[in-house]
Amino acid sequence: MLSATHLTRRFDHRIALDDVSFELAAGEIFALLGPNGAGKTTTLRILAGLIAPSSGSVYVDGEPMRADTASHLRARIGFLTEAPGLWDRLTVRQNLLVYARLYELPSPRKAVEEALALFDISDRGDDRAAHLSKGLKQRVALARCLLHNPRIVMLDEPTAGLDPESARDVRDLILRLREQGRTVLLCTHNLDEVERVADRVAVLRTRLVAVGAPDALRARLFAPRVRVVLTQTAEPYAARLRSSGVTRVTAHGTSLTVELKNSSLTTPDLVRTLVEAGACVESVMPEEPPLEDVYLKLLHPEGGIQ
Amino acid sequence: MRRTIALLGKELADLRQNLAIFVPSLIVVVVSTLIPVIVAVIVPAVSGERLSDSSDLEIALEVYKHDPAARGLDPEAAIQAYVFQYFLVMLVLGPVTSAMAVAASSVIGEKQARTLEPLLATPLTTFELLAAKLLGALLPAVGLSVIAFTLYMAVIAAVAEPGVFWLLLSARSVATVFLVGPLAGIVALQLAVCVSSRVNDARAAQQLGVFVILPIPALLVGQLLGFVRLTGPLILVISLFLVVANGVLMWIAIRLFDRETILTRWK
Repeated sequence: MLSATHLTRRFDHRIALDDVSFELAAGEIFALLGPNGAGKTTTLRILAGLIAPSSGSVYVDGEPMRADTASHLRARIGFLTEAPGLWDRLTVRQNLLVYARLYELPSPRKAVEEALALFDISDRGDDRAAHLSKGLKQRVALARCLLHNPRIVMLDEPTAGLDPESARDVRDLILRLREQGRTVLLCTHNLDEVERVADRVAVLRTRLVAVGAPDALRARLFAPRVRVVLTQTAEPYAARLRSSGVTRVTAHGTSLTVELKNSSLTTPDLVRTLVEAGACVESVMPEEPPLEDVYLKLLHPEGGIQ
Repeated sequence: MRRTIALLGKELADLRQNLAIFVPSLIVVVVSTLIPVIVAVIVPAVSGERLSDSSDLEIALEVYKHDPAARGLDPEAAIQAYVFQYFLVMLVLGPVTSAMAVAASSVIGEKQARTLEPLLATPLTTFELLAAKLLGALLPAVGLSVIAFTLYMAVIAAVAEPGVFWLLLSARSVATVFLVGPLAGIVALQLAVCVSSRVNDARAAQQLGVFVILPIPALLVGQLLGFVRLTGPLILVISLFLVVANGVLMWIAIRLFDRETILTRWK
């Protein structure tokens, strides 16, 4: 659906993007993560045909993005920019109508009314954009980005600055886009959001640090861990486990965190061992490190996280 | 073409909501209309000395010499016609300042309001974008020229000697206001577009309008000092020069209006 091949972008002497390649499939939500200045927005702009790479190629449905093809390829992409970018003096309806005409939709007014209804903003259609709240502006910008029914949707910080309810609405929308078979490229700092919606993530810091499904990246970087809560102090049982060959055990109060990697022990074995040692087990939970830990470990593999 | 019209519709709708940007241009038009009235009508009336009573009489002879149509006028009316004809060029300032205001609001303001990036993400080509911006500046400039010329002629009809109005209502006057004015305005706008593509601070682009404004009072002074006479053929030459300049500037603007620079450099 969309592929980036060896994308490099220089601004004067500064390299903003260095040899980045990835592919996006239809119906996939792909999140682009990285610190500020990592090249995320540059990547999005290149993929959306707004700027050209210094080297490398972008293909949309197998068609190369070039100066002579960019105009019609941009019609297949919906791009939500970091700022809503609405014309403040125009009404919501006028804002959308201009874009419906720029995309040369057959019935621009009908498309605008449908978009307003879809985003539940029909009653604000005649309000000037300047009078809208930040959340509503974002909703109008999303409506604008989907007005022409694009197969590829690129969202730059879609929930930045939104209240929790509006952010949830945006997340629900992203999931609906996937159900409709559209490809979504999400660029965000909100790792919780990525955890909830993304099929795959790419961590970028000028170069591509890693690409994969969140669980696969987690499994690659962290050993499976189990957290066992006891009714009594856990430390004696940690010692017992260590003597059974489990090397990575930590005890905090009544809970034990046990790393199962490099150990023949399974979770049932672990519980059995503890019970046989006289422990009263209250709960056993697999412990998954949050995506934030995965992200930080990818960016700071040496462990120098600030 | 359809995309250009779509964006032009937005430009005009946006300007309708922001008519205040034309206030400076209207002030320029009013002042440009009042100055010749003060010189040719009010000062003689207040001082009690008619223009034709003074040494200015020789001006009337000049007018008769160069403009056969004026020979039907009495000396006072001929001198007034001379003053109003020479100050007519100042009306060109109206469309030029209006085009500069539109450049600031429509081209540069678009980037500063961060509305340019979503626009550039559409299939809109650079030519279509610039064409819409130029037409969006040209139409108000023409509108302002109509207002300026109507006001100027109405004032002449009201206060000047009989016959001055009909002498001024000529192809030369119409060409000065409706050809030179809007064409010079578009030069100012295109200069702003070209420069804005190559500077980091978009405000620097606005300063370039001065290169278009300066020749206009210079033309007036040149006429008053007798260095130049704004005849019909000269107006056509100036208009032709402005048409060529606009064509060249459009060509340059399309090459310089670099989406990348504007998206990545403008602060």
